[in-house]
Amino acid sequence: MNHKLLAGLGILGLVAGASVLAQQKKEIVFWHIQSSEPGLSLVKKQVDRYMAANPDVNVQVVPIQNDAYKTKIKVAMGAGQGPCVFATWGGGPLFEYVKANQIIDLTSLLNENNYKNRFLSASFSAITFNNKIYGVPVEGVSISIFYYNKQMFAKLGLQEPATIAQLVSTANTLKKNGIVPFSLANKTKWTGSMYFMYLVDRMGGARTFINAATRANGGSFQNPVFIRAGKMLQDWVKAGYFNEGFNGLDYDSGQSRGLLYAGKAAMELMGNWSTSIMRSENPAFATNVGIFPFPAMRAGGPAGNVVGTVGDNYYHIASNCKHQKESFEMIKFLIDDQAVTERGAAGRIPPVKSFKPTDPDLKNIVELVNNAPGTQLWYDQYLAPELGEAHKDTTQALMGLTMTPEQAAKIMEDTAKRLAGK
Amino acid sequence: MARVKIHPLIWVLALVWLLLTLLPFWFMVSSSFKTALETYTRPVWALPLSPNIDNYKAVLSGGFFRYVFNSLLVVSISVTLILLLSAMAAFVFARLPYRPAKPLFGLIMAGLAVPVHVTLIPVYSLTTRLGIYDTPWALIGPYVAFSLPLTIFILTEFVRQIPRELDDAARVDGCSPARTFFSIILPLTSPGMASMGIYNTVMLWNEFVFAFTLTASPNQRTLPLAIWEFQGQYSANVPAIMTVLTMTALPMIVVYIFGQERIIKGMMAGALKG
Amino acid sequence: MTRVKPKNEYALTAIVFLAPTVLLLLVFVVYPILESVRLSFTRWTGLGQSQVYVGWSNWLRLLQDMVFWKALGNNLILALLSILIQLPIALALALMLDKGGRAMRFLKLAYFIPLLVSSVAIGFLFKYIYDPNFGLLNAVLNGVGLNNLAKSWLGDPSLALYAVLAVICWQFIPFHMLIFQAALASMPAELHDAALIDGATENQFFWRITLPLLQGTIRTAVVLSLIGSLRYFDLIYVLTGGGPSGSTELMATYMYKQAFSSFNFGYGSTVAVALILVVLLISGVVLSLTKRFQTEV
Repeated sequence: MNHKLLAGLGILGLVAGASVLAQQKKEIVFWHIQSSEPGLSLVKKQVDRYMAANPDVNVQVVPIQNDAYKTKIKVAMGAGQGPCVFATWGGGPLFEYVKANQIIDLTSLLNENNYKNRFLSASFSAITFNNKIYGVPVEGVSISIFYYNKQMFAKLGLQEPATIAQLVSTANTLKKNGIVPFSLANKTKWTGSMYFMYLVDRMGGARTFINAATRANGGSFQNPVFIRAGKMLQDWVKAGYFNEGFNGLDYDSGQSRGLLYAGKAAMELMGNWSTSIMRSENPAFATNVGIFPFPAMRAGGPAGNVVGTVGDNYYHIASNCKHQKESFEMIKFLIDDQAVTERGAAGRIPPVKSFKPTDPDLKNIVELVNNAPGTQLWYDQYLAPELGEAHKDTTQALMGLTMTPEQAAKIMEDTAKRLAGK
Repeated sequence: MARVKIHPLIWVLALVWLLLTLLPFWFMVSSSFKTALETYTRPVWALPLSPNIDNYKAVLSGGFFRYVFNSLLVVSISVTLILLLSAMAAFVFARLPYRPAKPLFGLIMAGLAVPVHVTLIPVYSLTTRLGIYDTPWALIGPYVAFSLPLTIFILTEFVRQIPRELDDAARVDGCSPARTFFSIILPLTSPGMASMGIYNTVMLWNEFVFAFTLTASPNQRTLPLAIWEFQGQYSANVPAIMTVLTMTALPMIVVYIFGQERIIKGMMAGALKG
Repeated sequence: MTRVKPKNEYALTAIVFLAPTVLLLLVFVVYPILESVRLSFTRWTGLGQSQVYVGWSNWLRLLQDMVFWKALGNNLILALLSILIQLPIALALALMLDKGGRAMRFLKLAYFIPLLVSSVAIGFLFKYIYDPNFGLLNAVLNGVGLNNLAKSWLGDPSLALYAVLAVICWQFIPFHMLIFQAALASMPAELHDAALIDGATENQFFWRITLPLLQGTIRTAVVLSLIGSLRYFDLIYVLTGGGPSGSTELMATYMYKQAFSSFNFGYGSTVAVALILVVLLISGVVLSLTKRFQTEV
């Protein structure tokens, strides 16, 4: 026992010694959440290129799984000892980092040589606060669209619906044929939220939510639009448009895709990351999948926004980072021309203007984003963290029919007021 | 060993329970031979279509052995410390007439009550300040500290059940309390120690939260983090994860078989004491 | 070796034996608890140095927070049912394994397996078992004609807590079984032989000898099961995340959500301290009612 302990202390000494040696290089610690392939090597390759070009810098790349990351980054930040470069999804939670002076303003670095111009301008909206930009958009465009089973639609003589009324009649036809119209796994909560966000946008336009969220122009979460959207969503649940028990299913474990693959469900409203997941999980099915945007309120009416994000994950530089300039250069490598090519080949949509996808599915998605009047960031990312959580909780309860739209609206409004009062 | 005829109905119940307990094991092992597609299109309990070992190849080509080494190192040192320190503390609580020790039992209760997540920030701070962040050594402190309360709690009860005449006799023979502990109490507590050894080994072998909070670089990770390579933001490669978990559980099963022997030996030691 | 007076010798041994444990617990348990108590009086997002002292306001909020009280209620249901379900089954299995001899060697190993498998695997497994569309459970129920018993186990707010409870019991019965097995193993075999010679039946032996001798172990198991249930986190987080509609929210999952997801580290700490107080209070009551845990010297 004692020997083991002594040996332990000895190794401890060695480890400490080794880290002193390594510190003679400039050390950058970089945390990201691309813990599985292809993201893992996409990041690693670019960082390796950066280190080859800058031998005086050593970047310690730490890939962390998504759920664990959310805990780990908070622990590190809470202790005031976070990494130099790290990933976020922008929006409300990021604003907390800004308010706590945890990350640096990158505006001037981005303006150097017009570097900023390289990116889609929409990609900065989730990381801009008081006209200052606090991150670099890298990982790519993710928007919410309907995926559907083409063969099944053809067999039942169904078309891609262009209006909400058509979507409802499509759902009715499917239902009559014993098929679940919408596949949903809503333990995850943000999955069901996609329906709510789109309905609010289609019923009330983009400003309804923005006004409520920013407390501007008399905006309120008790605006009748939120209540009508909630009612419609509950009607859909009551009509049986969603699979049974959706509130207990986990999206990340593939429980909603299973229904699509088995032909038990016809459509799923989901982020466009689904394309690459389906291709790797079920290549045969992936060729039989079509996409269409969430329909407009009425024919010939405004198409409405897309819901999603045009840049996340974003990468940020911590205020206590000793090598901020080098960190920024390293981030540039993650999204330079070679990185963009590699990302495109891996099925990603990098948020840069020069990216011209060759893949037809990716092309469709890029066109969708370009044609939409704007992009509404996911509510749970847009809102302050506590309000975002309240949105997810109330929407899940709404869809579970355990809460009325009025109750949900009141909880949102009360929480928003309390947070605004702080 | 007392042997008694077992009622057939009990056998039936025993077999039903067996089925229930083997279910996860079956799921884990059989899934590890499936493809991702199979897990979605065929029932969970179905046999793999073909014994496909690609998942094993994929897992072994990563840092798997490095993780095993780190886990072995951390768990073996931690469990040794846990058992020794717990037995010593249990002896004090159960046997020594030393009043100031009594209130310390409250400390043990506090250790049982504390939720792990509130300790993360202080422990992380401490670890970085000590310079052992991102080494397997960072894990040993919290692992030992958070396993002690439960282990002490249970072993105290075990020590209490040892007939007091034994240590009285030792005292009359002039044994110091420490001697009594090492030569009488420790051997007689061995069934309890074996049980707690097995339990702590298994728990720490699968421990996740401290493992990801206190290590960073892939080289320093322990086994439970090996599933990360197969778990993205929105999807999970279930068969590959099950492969990792199967290979993680195998050593534990070996440990348990070995531990079973220890319990039986301990029992025989107990039989001699009368 | 110089002869020390017994009293001092006891004190010395006690101090030496307890010192490492006390030191470790001070660093890893007491310090974080004190830190949480301090934070429970602040507003803090959990980022940087932005802590603001807010007096008792977090505590006042807690008193009116329906989610917290609901979570506490769920914890109490979990604790009560865990004790009532886990301990009798665990004891029965341990007795059976103890009596069964060699034939039981395989069962001894097999019954232990749920404890060997990590919660990650158990989470995946039961997600698929409970799945209302593809799941094993509903398939079995439909197969034997009990179609109306087939439910969406994790999706129905009135069932979800019990569905997860079943998994927790299944996972922890082996732990209690292990403790009981060890306790039975340390029981002198001669007791049994002597009682039988005296003409006692197996049943009488169990109720008059075995059970009374196991009292201490049973108390230990009750307290551990209680504490474990009051601070439970793992499988709830994996299987339901506290949902649907908050029906499986526990104090620990609520604390996590406040501290880590809602960036309310101050209020999250308040929930944590309340959790610790509840555990200490309830286990203190149980311990003093059973009185056994003050060493009877």
